[in-house]
Amino acid sequence: MTALAPYVEYARKAFAREATYRIELLAEIGSLALRVYLLRALWTALYTHNVAPMGLPLHSMITYATVAMLMSLVLEVDGTRVIREKLREGGIAVDLMKPIVVPFAYFSDGVGQTLVHALAILPSLLISLMLVRIDVPPAATLVVFFFSFALGYGVNFFVNFLLNGIAFWTLETFGLQLIVRWISDLLSGQILPLAFFPGWLGRAVFALPFAAIYSTPLLVFIGIIPPRQWATALAIQGAWLAATAAASYLLWRAAARRIVVQGG
Amino acid sequence: MLAAYLQYWKINLLTMAEYRADFFMWLGFTIVYHGTALAALTITMMRFPSMNGWSLREMFFLYALWMAAHELHNALFYNVMYVPEYIREGRFDRFFVRPFDTLFQVLTVPSRTFPDGFILGVVTLAIAAGVAHINLSPQTVLVIAAVVCGGAGIDLGISLFVASLSFWLIRVDTLRWAIMSLEQDFTRYPISIYTRAVRVVLAYILPFAFMNYFPASYLLGKHDAAFGLSPQVGLLTPLIGLLWSGCSYLFWKIGINRYQGTGS
Repeated sequence: MTALAPYVEYARKAFAREATYRIELLAEIGSLALRVYLLRALWTALYTHNVAPMGLPLHSMITYATVAMLMSLVLEVDGTRVIREKLREGGIAVDLMKPIVVPFAYFSDGVGQTLVHALAILPSLLISLMLVRIDVPPAATLVVFFFSFALGYGVNFFVNFLLNGIAFWTLETFGLQLIVRWISDLLSGQILPLAFFPGWLGRAVFALPFAAIYSTPLLVFIGIIPPRQWATALAIQGAWLAATAAASYLLWRAAARRIVVQGG
Repeated sequence: MLAAYLQYWKINLLTMAEYRADFFMWLGFTIVYHGTALAALTITMMRFPSMNGWSLREMFFLYALWMAAHELHNALFYNVMYVPEYIREGRFDRFFVRPFDTLFQVLTVPSRTFPDGFILGVVTLAIAAGVAHINLSPQTVLVIAAVVCGGAGIDLGISLFVASLSFWLIRVDTLRWAIMSLEQDFTRYPISIYTRAVRVVLAYILPFAFMNYFPASYLLGKHDAAFGLSPQVGLLTPLIGLLWSGCSYLFWKIGINRYQGTGS
């Protein structure tokens, strides 16, 4: 347990730091309310004037979009932004000298930041419930959903880690990162269900790691992935988690060596 | 003043030529931002061909009209966004010791603004007009150009109003953020999909609907399902743009008069 103590401390510090931006947090909740209103208006209009697509009635669609919005409160926190800052300001050299596993420390930092935003979920949920009705799945489904969400959080963390890690070579990744974020929002199923993508594109998007971030947990939630397919769905997510984690490890090793070279 | 302004653009374009990597990153940025928005729209409307009586082609035009106006605003007036920051950090005072209008000086702070987004917006608008089968007679082109300028005027009026508020309030970021989200998310769809209160806000209070919904209805020969107004109101856009930016400029002047510098 004592081995973990420094990391818990990292998470605590990050939590305290992030929690000072109260107004921003309130703004986040307010902007979420606006977007939940928008998604209700949008999908209601679309369903009123068109034939509903197979297997996805309006209430499921609204549930999907609202839960996706709530998930984004947590998933849009870039817990690895700290890498970029540390690189620019040189703090990373000091961190590498400390008796800690640096990537793990940054992960703890990210978790601390995320927890602050997770606090915003409850009020956001309450506000959302004033605007829309969300289908509540059975308890077992909810448990699997949270498990799948956790795996998605991991994949999201490592995708961000890889992107921020590029800063070891280019120093500036902000633009690139926003570009990838927008593409990933689309390809992960956050904006619309991946099943809406036509033809081969539809098959391709399910084969990308982005689908493991939003799409899988959401499809579990609204029941499109039935209980007998849960194991497969979670296994695919787990595989992506392992793959992105391995890639992050390799990147980190190469990057750390690079720092030593530059500094030596 | 004109000579100084031309000099400003000359510096801007020279900067652009110097920082080519930067330029291409921002270009990629703009392309991906609008590209993902249009992709999401296209995919959605392949499943749901009608959005309150608007087809995909018409929705494309609706988006392009807003995009061109908004990007014109970004190319010319983006610096207005930085005013709250200038004031907070005490960097605003330097504008008083120079022999130019304060707003003019704000607009000409070198900031690596490139007109790439606007060029992209015009190209997109031209394509969208073709796709939507708009008969491009000289008069129509003139109307579209006036609408784009008027739309940029509305954008400027509203952002200048928010910026002027920072002469009284220290933090306007949250308000600005809410208004930006209202603009970027809510102008993507015909306002007839919203409830009455939101329609009233978008038409009469923060008249973003005049950037695209009303003029697009006019140009596409569509009936206004939101208020049942005559399509001709779409021609009011330039007037409203002029009115909003004019009134905001007066408000700005009042703010300057009572400004004493935060923290002095």
